[in-house]
Parts: sequence; C-alpha cells; structure tokens
Amino acid sequence: MTTIEVPALARVEGEGGLFIKLENGRAVEIRLDIYEPPRFFEGFLRGRFLQEVPDITARICGICPVAYQMSSAFALENALGIKISPRVRALRRLMYCGEHIESHALHIYMLQAPDLLGKQSALELAAVAPDIVKNALRLKKIGNEILKVIGGRSVHPVNVCVGGFYSWPDTASLKALLPDLEWGLNAAIDSVKWAVTLPYPDLEIDYEFVALHHPEEYAVVEGEVWSSKGNKVSIADYETRYIEEHVKHSNALHGRTADGNTYLVGPLARLNLNHEQLLPAAQKALKDSGIKLPLKNPYKSLIARAIELVQFYEEAIELVKAYQPDGPAHVELKLKAGEGAGATEAPRGLLYHRYEIDENGLVQFAKITPPTAQNLPRIEADLFALAPKIVKMPEAEATLTAEHLVRAYDPCISCATHFLKLKVEEK
Amino acid sequence: MKIAVIGIGQSLRGDDGAGLEAVRQWRENYPETASRSEVRVEANELPGLALIDLIHENDAVILVDAVRSSSKAGTIHRIGPEELSAFTSDSQSAHGWGAAETIQLARQLNPALKNYPIKLIGIEVKQTTIGSGLSKEVRSAIPLACRAIQTEIEKFL
Repeated sequence: MTTIEVPALARVEGEGGLFIKLENGRAVEIRLDIYEPPRFFEGFLRGRFLQEVPDITARICGICPVAYQMSSAFALENALGIKISPRVRALRRLMYCGEHIESHALHIYMLQAPDLLGKQSALELAAVAPDIVKNALRLKKIGNEILKVIGGRSVHPVNVCVGGFYSWPDTASLKALLPDLEWGLNAAIDSVKWAVTLPYPDLEIDYEFVALHHPEEYAVVEGEVWSSKGNKVSIADYETRYIEEHVKHSNALHGRTADGNTYLVGPLARLNLNHEQLLPAAQKALKDSGIKLPLKNPYKSLIARAIELVQFYEEAIELVKAYQPDGPAHVELKLKAGEGAGATEAPRGLLYHRYEIDENGLVQFAKITPPTAQNLPRIEADLFALAPKIVKMPEAEATLTAEHLVRAYDPCISCATHFLKLKVEEK
Repeated sequence: MKIAVIGIGQSLRGDDGAGLEAVRQWRENYPETASRSEVRVEANELPGLALIDLIHENDAVILVDAVRSSSKAGTIHRIGPEELSAFTSDSQSAHGWGAAETIQLARQLNPALKNYPIKLIGIEVKQTTIGSGLSKEVRSAIPLACRAIQTEIEKFL
C-alpha cells in the first residue's frame, strides 16, 4: 500500500491536507481533510444584537471581510423589512469592488501564476519578472485603498451597518483615487492579455455553475440564484435547492444540490452565467481575449478573475465619479422579530447568510454558507478526474499537480471551517 | 528620520503574541521615545504584503515578532537584514506573507532597498497552540525585548 500525503498545502488559506488512496494504480478514495479547527461563528452569534453581526462575521476572513459584512447586512435588513437607499447600495457595490480587486490581484499574480509558470512562489516570479509583480502589488493596493477610504482601514474595515453605513466617506478622498483607478483599469486589461498566454493544463469538467444573477448588472450584491442547469431560485429559497452536509474527514461542511450533485461557485460560474452583464471595457477584454464561453477548465478561473478585475476597476471608476453623499447614510432601525436571508458574490463565490432575530433584535439562529464549503465536494471530484494522470507520476510531481488544482480554486479553508496535506495510499 | 516599530503576532496563539506584548510594554515604559513625532508604533496581527508599504513610508523599520529556532524559550534575537532571510514564515496561510519573505520580495523588486535599515527583535517561543496568554519563559523575557527595542531605536534617533 502506498500513501501520498501532502501534510499542508502552501498558498492556500487555512489548514488542511490531501489524501489519495490508490489500488492497483487506480484512485479509489480522495479526501480533502480539513483540520482547521471549527470556528463556531454561527453558535456565538446567538444572543448578540443584530448590529454587531456585520463586524463579528467580518472576522471570519482577513481577505474578504466585506463579503461577510454585506451578506449579513442584507440578510438582517430582510429580517427587519428594511430597504436601503440607492446611494447606500451604490456605495456597497463600490466597497465590494475594492475587495474583489485586492483579492483577485493577489490570487492571479501571487498565488496561481507561479504554479502555471513553474515557479515555487511569487518570490521566484519576482526574480524573473519584477515588473509583473510590481504591477500586481499596485493593482492590489488600489483595492485596499478603496476599502480604507470607505471603511477606515484596509483589513477588517468598519463602517458597514445594518441599514447602510455609519457615515458617508469623504468625497475628496474617494475622488482622489480616480487617477490610480484609471491606471488600474488599463493594467487589468493588460492582465487579461497576459492571462490568456499562460500555459494551462488540459482539464475540462462538466460543472453545474451557480451564481447570483441580476438582469441589469454583473451581480454582486443582489439577484436570483441561477444555475447553469436552468434552475432559478430566489435568495430566500436558496436552502430549498442547496444543502450542506457533514462529512467525516472535514471540519468544513460540504455543499450539494438537493438532488445530491456537486456544483461550482466563484469567478468561472459568474463569468459563464453573467458575461452579458459585464460593463463595456470588460466585455471588450473578454471579446479581445478570444476566450469561448462557457469556460470549463478549473485552471482558467485565473482568466475569469482577470476579466473580473477589469469589470471591478471599471465599475469602481463609474461609482466614484457618481458618488454624491446626500441624505442619511443609514436607515433608522425599527426592531421586530423576524427571519431573513441574504446572499452576495464574494471573491470566491456565493456567500449565503440567514438569521432569525427576536423582538429585541437579538440573534436566535444564524446560518452561514461560505463559497469554499460549496466548492469542496467539487474540488474532490476534480481530483478524481485528474487521478488517472496523477497515478502515473512520480510522487513529488503528483503532489505538485494536485496542489496546483486545489490552488486554482483559491479555496479559503479558514472561512469554510466549519483546509491541505496530500496523502496517497496505494494497495 | 521616520522609524516604524511594528509588533507582529497573533495573541490567540500563545507565545505568537510575544511581539505585540513587547511593543505594548515598550510603549508604556518608554513613552518619551514612543511618542516622538518621527516614531510610528504599530501592532499588527499579520502585516503581510503591507509591510512593503511600511518600508517605503519609513526610513527604518524595527520588527518585533515571535521566532522559533533552536534557542531556549525567551531568548531575545537581534536579527539584521542579511540574517533575516534565514527565517521563513511557518504560517499555513496562502494569503499571509511572512516578514522575511516580504522583505526579500521588497528587495527583489527594488534593488535600492539593498541597504535599507531593518532590524528584527525576535522572541524565542515555547508554545504557539490555540489560546491566549504567554508562557512563563516568554513573559519574563518581555522586559529584555523592550530594552532591545529601545537600544535599537536609539541607534536611529
């Protein structure tokens, strides 16, 4: 019996391992063991006042705190029957642009590109292509600056509240970002041109893609939950079609559709389902790239991220230009007992929250379904698809190939626990 | 001359919070130095790539962080820019860049930073399991770390 074990995957957020069991050269079992400790956020939100929820859930992730703030705020606003103003909605979209920009720039250049280019890390990439890495850091930093202006700081920004924002950000500080944003838009367009030249391994998977869809915009903050298999449900009905289950080897729950199938959330799903809603520069970048949709190669999620980088820079420019704070930054809350669900598109995919609150605004029940938990069964299934190739490789190469695939997903295990080591066992 | 004193660590991982605690106590014990206009004091769980910006925004950087080598717990290391590359991050996080790798990256991207003054005050850890609170050995070494910070900063001021 042979075992291949990757005790901890590098460049993946959180702690987990990969285990592959081979029998007569055939993979019979593949598990992503998630041993990042369970985090119990849903448990300790119980009894907290609803206005604390956005800032508590933001702490689930240092990369996408805004996503947690947004999904929780929308869910709790739905529970209270509150409608936010169009200006607040626009500012939420802008803040989300900042998060998508910094997260995508990091993943494209610092986490996944080194794999495709045969480099061990971004450090090695920086040694041969310093200008690429310099641009990447600048692209990322501009996203952070948006978060800083709106939320006071770039990591775990504050200011989002149930009902809107605690205060309007300073107009001059936001408008001052425009020259950097214009530079970023051009650099993002160049990122797409560069992304299509990278060598991607061949792997086509017949995914069920799932993402929010909105008829008038590239859905991020609101929409209907659309599946590439034709299913459409409202956010309120999400749990009737998408369920989470416990599996023994993982502290993260696994997401499946109600009929037991795996599905994929994230940039590939969004681009494939929502490309018609891209803004003009992003549309043009997609067209000029010569990419045919749907994209079904998990490694090519890098290209999807690059096109989205154009989208989010373009959108940020529009929103900053239009920014005009006027009226109250938030709706005054009238407390009542209720239940509400909210979903937004985090950088890694659909992030769903549901809360029940009592008449004093105290949380009675919380459910948080992060993107990585939904993608985990799909990553395992992809590794099965890759297995016939892996088993013929020497151990070190097999490990690296499996790691590349997992990293292409940009999984965020810390968020999902409720993540990687590769272990291959051969009989 | 602008100098940044940056405490790095995760206070919920036992001795990993040693750097944060040392900077906090140094600030309390040396208020005159800590409050000077050219001194910027930061406590940061994980500065990651933002450390590159801190390097560019200041003329010198003193990092105070927990380290693990083969020394006795509580040993204070004073590590210069060259030896720093021998330390690697044991962070399991893809997104968290260790201080040593980040400084290496900053230098690779900007050769002018070759002689940038950076000093790491490293505090040898005993345990970094989940839970707050420093071990006895590390706690009793914090005053030594404070003096080391003060000695290093006086060289720049």
